[in-house]
Amino acid sequence: MPPKKSTIVWLQGLTCNGNSHSFFNYPQMPSFAASFDMLYHPLLGGEGSFETLLDGTSSFDFLILEGALSQDESILQKFNRPFSQVLNNLSSRAKTIVCAGSCASFGGIFRLRDPERISGALFRGKEAGGYWNIKHNVINLPGCPVHPRWLVDTLLLLHQGEKVFLDTYLRPKEIYGYLVHHGCLRNEYFEWKVDSKQLGQKEGCLFYEHGCQGPMSHANCNKILWNEVSSKTRAGSPCLGCTEFDFPRRALYETQTNMSLPQTPVGISKRAYYSLAGVAKSFKIERLERKLIDENN
Amino acid sequence: MKITKEIIERIEGEATLELQWHEGVIDFAKIKFFNFRGIEKILEKRVLYDAIAITPRVCGICSHSHALASVLAIESCFKNAGDVLHISQKAQDIREIILNAEKIQNHIKWYFFTIFSELQKLSNTPFEGNAFKDKAWFHAQKAIVESLKMGAIFSGQWPHGSFALPGGVTCDPVRSDFIMAQNTLEGIVAFCEEYLYGMPLEEFLSFSSALQVMSSVRRLSYGIETMIELGFDRIGRSHDRFLALGDSFLYEEPSKAVKTTVLSADSKHVHESLEHTFFSDTHKGYTYSKSAQYRKNYFEVGPLARMMIGKDVLIRDFHRRFKDATLTRVVARMSECAHLLLRTRELLSHCDITMPSFIPPKANPHDLCGEGIGIIEASRGSLIHKVNVLYGHIHSYDIITPTVWNLGNGDKENPSVAQKAIMGLDSIEKADFVFKSFDVCSVCTTQ
Repeated sequence: MPPKKSTIVWLQGLTCNGNSHSFFNYPQMPSFAASFDMLYHPLLGGEGSFETLLDGTSSFDFLILEGALSQDESILQKFNRPFSQVLNNLSSRAKTIVCAGSCASFGGIFRLRDPERISGALFRGKEAGGYWNIKHNVINLPGCPVHPRWLVDTLLLLHQGEKVFLDTYLRPKEIYGYLVHHGCLRNEYFEWKVDSKQLGQKEGCLFYEHGCQGPMSHANCNKILWNEVSSKTRAGSPCLGCTEFDFPRRALYETQTNMSLPQTPVGISKRAYYSLAGVAKSFKIERLERKLIDENN
Repeated sequence: MKITKEIIERIEGEATLELQWHEGVIDFAKIKFFNFRGIEKILEKRVLYDAIAITPRVCGICSHSHALASVLAIESCFKNAGDVLHISQKAQDIREIILNAEKIQNHIKWYFFTIFSELQKLSNTPFEGNAFKDKAWFHAQKAIVESLKMGAIFSGQWPHGSFALPGGVTCDPVRSDFIMAQNTLEGIVAFCEEYLYGMPLEEFLSFSSALQVMSSVRRLSYGIETMIELGFDRIGRSHDRFLALGDSFLYEEPSKAVKTTVLSADSKHVHESLEHTFFSDTHKGYTYSKSAQYRKNYFEVGPLARMMIGKDVLIRDFHRRFKDATLTRVVARMSECAHLLLRTRELLSHCDITMPSFIPPKANPHDLCGEGIGIIEASRGSLIHKVNVLYGHIHSYDIITPTVWNLGNGDKENPSVAQKAIMGLDSIEKADFVFKSFDVCSVCTTQ
């Protein structure tokens, strides 16, 4: 007899569908399907209609939430019903609620339209208290969008009966214990404070001039890579800090400075960072000033 | 008069069709989209370049089209301010490769996740969908993964990459990146040849007659046969007017077509209307979708429009036989997919990596004032971004998405494209499928 599958219902709030499409990028989908039954997904449907799903009373294992949430019917409704009616029904039947993406976790971009009335499940940006004030079965997987592996790996761990260790923002530590900076190909330039003078080049760090949030953003993007091959920073584009509660910051392509000094990486004191930065910057490392690949030399 | 409200499921987002019936036939249809997010407002007062990061979040399935439309709009601001940016051929090629990757996945996803499944359901009522079950569904999903991987080699990620800025692209690929992209692309081509077209791409693209396509035994011909059996070769016809305002390799210049007559077109004739929306009247309005017209007429945008404007021989043959019926619309999209695969193969093999990826603007973006417009031919058609900038900050931002062209609301005397296609049908099931033939995306519509 095949092992029992876990059951999933996927519900969307105010969303761009980006987390759904990111999930469809999961490369080992047959393995996923061997462990899970998707009872309902808005883009794919399910065995019955959405109405049938709501009329049911049976419990299921995972409710995946995608998109920002609101109790206000004028902002959010689902197939002519108040969204709260739908969410209250489904959340009471789910063993675990997984917030896929920054919108469901913190409110994300769409919260900016009306920060008082739009939020994540348990957070409004950084502040605790979102759609619900307290709920003990919620896991946040922020990111704009969520990485397919963050979602599937977490679901599989829970399916296998493993415990998932969470940080204060209810993010799994095995994913969000890393910084985007970890594994970035431009790390050496960061160490020696060599700026990327111009975009569109392999060389230089994007932290000093181009707004890169890699050293401040919790996620393993540069460990597991996106679409199995790359990441924003590997493609020469600054990390936008999309896994953090304050995404999107203002002036995303600019480094915010204080007395011409950039923000320090997570957990590193200004004194430590600026002392070391000053020393590193005082050396001119010739190799790092040259092209990485120079066909003539 | 009987009025029914039909929830449309299994699309990008959700929609409701309010159908007015007269003697068993749909007399008029109101297309309703809810859950407005307000991205245009969110952008106001922000630094100009923030639009490049935020507008992709309009839509999870065409995010890179939005990123590019936004970049083009800002580049046009620079141009209007006297700083004409030179975008290297390499950067233009990479932008197109990334865009094509998005369109290829869209077309495969739409056919295998939506259209094929809907057709099976229509011809066999107990059918419960193919997702996570059918072998071909898994193969299609794998092809989608590969298509986006091919694009992500250059864009860093999909969805929601931010790979382009005014002046070019941010990546600086090496030759092995192109080799990997080429190999990845060939995997997608192999999938399409085996599961979709049932023949080599080149053979499919050499066809000039609908009958040649139907002689194959693969999914596309199955779809065509089923659509003919169900009558979709005769229904779902709209105004037979087409528009493509962005650039494409499929034709020489932005154009419109009325039936088979093609004439050049200019975005200055585009008019956006708030009629029937909650924006214009909170009580009488019934949707968050704006609508768009060209010289006060509704025009269809998307693959069928591009193929008609490009005078594609095969699609012209379908059109000659079936006009702009649902069948022609579906085949046009899947035929465009073949063109995109071949075009991307050419781009990957010819791209000159010695060129610069990025040439920065001379003017400081913080000093920019004025207006700009960017137009991209996205998966579903012409996507327009307009920005008004004041000293480097966004004063106003206006987005006209392809679905606003196809799925907006007119009135009974002058119905929109999808409304016209639905009017006259005699069943909800037919209306649902005809509606879906436009590749509905509610998130773009209600950005």
